Amino acid sequence: MACILEAQSICKYFGGLKAVEKVDMQIEEGKIFGIIGPNGAGKTTFFNICSGMYRPTAGRILFEGKDITGMPPEAIARLGIARTFQNIQLFRYMTVLENVKIGFHIRTRSGFLNALVRDRRYREEERFIENEARAVIEKVGLSPYVDTLASNLPYGLQRKVEIARALALKPKMLLLDEPVAGMNPLETRELSEFIIRLNAEGYTIVVIEHDMKFVMNTCHHILVLNFGQKICEGNPAEVRRNKAVNEAYFGKGLVVGGVS
Amino acid sequence: MDYYLSQAINGICQGSIYALMAIGYSVVVGVVGLVTFTHGEVIMLGAFASFYTFQLVGNNLIIGVIASFLASAFIGVFVFKICYERFFNAPRHISLICTIGTSMLLRNLAQIIFGPNNKPLLEVVPNRFFGQGVVGLTLVQIIVIATVISLSFLLFLFFNRTRWGIMLRAVSQDKTAAAMMGINVRLTSLLGNSIGCGLGGVAGMLLAIYYQTLVATMGGSAGMKAFSSAVLGGLTNIPSAAAGGLCLGIVENLGITISSASFRDIFAFIFLLLVLIVKPEGFAKKTGVRP
Repeated sequence: MACILEAQSICKYFGGLKAVEKVDMQIEEGKIFGIIGPNGAGKTTFFNICSGMYRPTAGRILFEGKDITGMPPEAIARLGIARTFQNIQLFRYMTVLENVKIGFHIRTRSGFLNALVRDRRYREEERFIENEARAVIEKVGLSPYVDTLASNLPYGLQRKVEIARALALKPKMLLLDEPVAGMNPLETRELSEFIIRLNAEGYTIVVIEHDMKFVMNTCHHILVLNFGQKICEGNPAEVRRNKAVNEAYFGKGLVVGGVS
Repeated sequence: MDYYLSQAINGICQGSIYALMAIGYSVVVGVVGLVTFTHGEVIMLGAFASFYTFQLVGNNLIIGVIASFLASAFIGVFVFKICYERFFNAPRHISLICTIGTSMLLRNLAQIIFGPNNKPLLEVVPNRFFGQGVVGLTLVQIIVIATVISLSFLLFLFFNRTRWGIMLRAVSQDKTAAAMMGINVRLTSLLGNSIGCGLGGVAGMLLAIYYQTLVATMGGSAGMKAFSSAVLGGLTNIPSAAAGGLCLGIVENLGITISSASFRDIFAFIFLLLVLIVKPEGFAKKTGVRP
């Protein structure tokens, strides 16, 4: 398996706070990769570095062997890394369809004149984008809400709009920041199945999540961060057995040798 | 009665100039996410650009519109570079104070370069009158209204039909998400700011033609009117801002019929205050804002 994204001893300091400290990571192409850790462990910071929102204090990020450290976010997005946000960031005053269409629009060619006279190229492109966008919306199961304003949708559905919008970029890799936050157990299971289906279609997916059941059932490989440092990495079974992980989540036992 | 009617018509005409200024203002506020205090100076420079263009190539309105648009758009680039580009992630008041300073700089430079006195701008449009009695339109008024309507229509097409327009709307709604969608936020904001300033420049030209005079300090009151109109419309909602400008113009002109022309601004600002007391969000409908 080829490695699609590689982080080489990434550090990010905010003043004296070491948000991410010397994290190495290799994400294999075609896998679902989970990043977990207690609150404030540096998971989202790590995502922000991967997607170009932050510049790492030290270290390098390689995407398909290419150094993308310090590239602006829009350039990284065009290379094929799409992401969603922990606190939803939709274009609130646009409909679901418009939100998704934006991802396609940045790749269209027709200019102002084409639009003014509505020539063939413009109309064909518009029809193409419209169809593609509707297909993506259908895929995430939002068809009944195509013309709803994004801000009027309930929380769980807004998350799906974000995923649909990210898919519109036709990314190679999808970064999902807490995708099931605010969803009920049924929705969570549906989303898990959906992510597995997307993965089967060839998307590499990296997901940050607190919902352990979701992570254990969905991910192939898990990285655990605590206080900005990697404390464990491996498949779900390995992570579950790991002592450091249990300590990070539940604290150390008072009795020597652990509570259990 | 005829007098009131003709004043209302004057109001519509003046209101449409305010509307164009307010549209430009809303576009700027939309993309940079902050009120600006340079808009009045941008309007003034647009007026001067058209003044010198008319002197150079004769009274050609289309060239005048293009020249004032381009000149003000260029000033827009300058303002963007100074006031916004470096401060995207800085506290917002830094950009705000920066626009105040830039506005002072531009106004005083203009007084040095163009001179402090009023300049006449006569007979750009032949003085013709259409209508009956006192109720009717002069050719200037027709041209002003036609220019404003056609520019608004072009802007509407640009915003809703083109890739750049859609990118601009995306940037004005959420810069982070826009960047994640592969949109170059810096370049798009620069473009939006320039378009907003360009529209302000054309409004400046119309203002100069309408009053047949221009002066380096005209930006102060013009910028205030643009700001008030945009506030009436809820700051970033473009159609509402235009409606705000129109209302402001009509109220002003009806106000001076019952008093004196020197009270013009009093009526404008009292109207603004009243609207904001009754409806603090302006004319714009709140479109599904979640707390």
